[in-house]
Amino acid sequence: MPGGAEARRAAYLGWGLLSPALVLLLLMTAVPTIYLVYYSLHHVDLLGPGTHFVGLANFRRVLSDPEILRSFAVTILFVALAVAIEIGLGLAIALMLARRLPETNLLTALFILPLGVAPVVSALVFRVLLDPAYGWIDYYLQSWGVISQPIDWLGDPLNAWIAIIGLDVWQWTPFVALILLAGLQAIPQDPVEAARLDGAGPVALFWHITLPFLRSFIAIAMVFRAIEAFKTFAGVEVLTGGGPGSTTELINLDLYRLALQDFDVGAAAALGFCFLVLLSVVMQQMLKVLGRNTDILEE
Amino acid sequence: MHRLSSLLLRTLIWAVILAMLCPVGWIVLTSIKPADISQSLPPVWSFTPTLRNYADVLTGSSYTSQVFATLIVHSAIVTALATLLALLTGIPAAYSLARIRFRGRKFTAMWILSTIMFPPAVSVIPVFILASRLGLMDTLPVLVIPYAAFGLPMVIWMLRSYVKQVPFEIEEAAMVDGASQFVILRRVVLPLLMPGVVAAALLMAMLAWNEFLFALALTRSAVKTAPVGISEFTNMYGTQWGDMTAAATVTVAPILVLTLVLRRRLVAGLTFGAVK
Repeated sequence: MPGGAEARRAAYLGWGLLSPALVLLLLMTAVPTIYLVYYSLHHVDLLGPGTHFVGLANFRRVLSDPEILRSFAVTILFVALAVAIEIGLGLAIALMLARRLPETNLLTALFILPLGVAPVVSALVFRVLLDPAYGWIDYYLQSWGVISQPIDWLGDPLNAWIAIIGLDVWQWTPFVALILLAGLQAIPQDPVEAARLDGAGPVALFWHITLPFLRSFIAIAMVFRAIEAFKTFAGVEVLTGGGPGSTTELINLDLYRLALQDFDVGAAAALGFCFLVLLSVVMQQMLKVLGRNTDILEE
Repeated sequence: MHRLSSLLLRTLIWAVILAMLCPVGWIVLTSIKPADISQSLPPVWSFTPTLRNYADVLTGSSYTSQVFATLIVHSAIVTALATLLALLTGIPAAYSLARIRFRGRKFTAMWILSTIMFPPAVSVIPVFILASRLGLMDTLPVLVIPYAAFGLPMVIWMLRSYVKQVPFEIEEAAMVDGASQFVILRRVVLPLLMPGVVAAALLMAMLAWNEFLFALALTRSAVKTAPVGISEFTNMYGTQWGDMTAAATVTVAPILVLTLVLRRRLVAGLTFGAVK
């Protein structure tokens, strides 16, 4: 370990190089949190002088509202379903892409295109394609005889859920598959050959060699995907707007509506604060998953 | 038998991937269809391709309040500035976290990583109120600063893993030659980091270019970006398919090109340098 003066020099230099980035990050996390706490304890009057302290009234109001409580359930269910399906499907596709075909590069290139499409655009396209009157999906399903009546995709709660999960899966499965494909391509071939010579079939190979080796890659895909899924706004806002009713109303949509459309800033701040608490618990767990299954958090 | 199963597998994967590409294909197809038949059912498959929708959208003869080409320019300016800001602050931070030994380094790295959990839908509320109080509504800083901050954890973590791969001996040799820390960072480390910097910049650009929530909440016209503009092709009269898809193609095309160019480094970026 270097001496005192040297250590001090390193500390100055280290924090000096970090400080512009830290200022920017604090500006977008700590500062909003302080304001959020302040607003959550006040009745906020944006236009006049009517802002006053109301204690925990906003929290009581928000946490006793069944619609808002439901948005927590909607958010958690959305993240769980989307991530689980994306991991399953992503693994299947990665396994297919890992077989070396002459056109593997082309396939992979085509396959990752959804990642680049702006969520607003993909949501709008899904909305148009799912339209019961003009949409191509209902039209072709009917003309191929799969269904007899057009399906009202966005007017029925269950169908709307299929639509928002389908949109997320379409957009983000390539992300999961790309990570798992990198994992599959890094599997050392010696143990695979040895097991094969010992008579292991493809299923045994998958369970005992491929899957254990992929564990860290699955953990990484799951963590990063879950974090992004919790932040989903554009896709669901444009596709269903939280409807029908508020059956697909994610917390993010609720926050937007409360604060920027109803201007009920106090309630929005209280809800935002509760969401932050939930997310920090989730983030702790995510970091634990990363720490236990991967070495990316190591020095 | 073996040949048959591999043929089946090949057919299956092509089917899956072509099915996934349908929405993208539909966008392009509809954008070059004459507007009067774009919504007709059964869908018209043979038609004379036209660039009319593009011309309408880009020159402003469509139903929107602003010319879409202007929004593309706004998006490009916001994206360029946010990317620049994230790199200027992120590169030194990544170097510091990877190379310099000081107390609190590990904690800071973890804190930076955990800021990705902060949802934009929460931070937009105070930013919206502050921006309107300070008269910053519909100006560049209210988009550029948040976008840079959203991308920073990715930029820092990804570049940190690249810095660690630069052999320390190279830096030591420069130090022995009497170069200062700043010179080492700029002249020795940065050139070796370039592949990582390019990848981080492109991912950062994708993030800023596609962002919707802040742009929707904080802009009106002066810096309104393309994603918000696209969402406005849907209004009470329904969606203008031709205009919307032409605008979407113009917006999405550059990012798709980037995605293809970046393909090999996409994984490293999306996993913050965890997978290479």
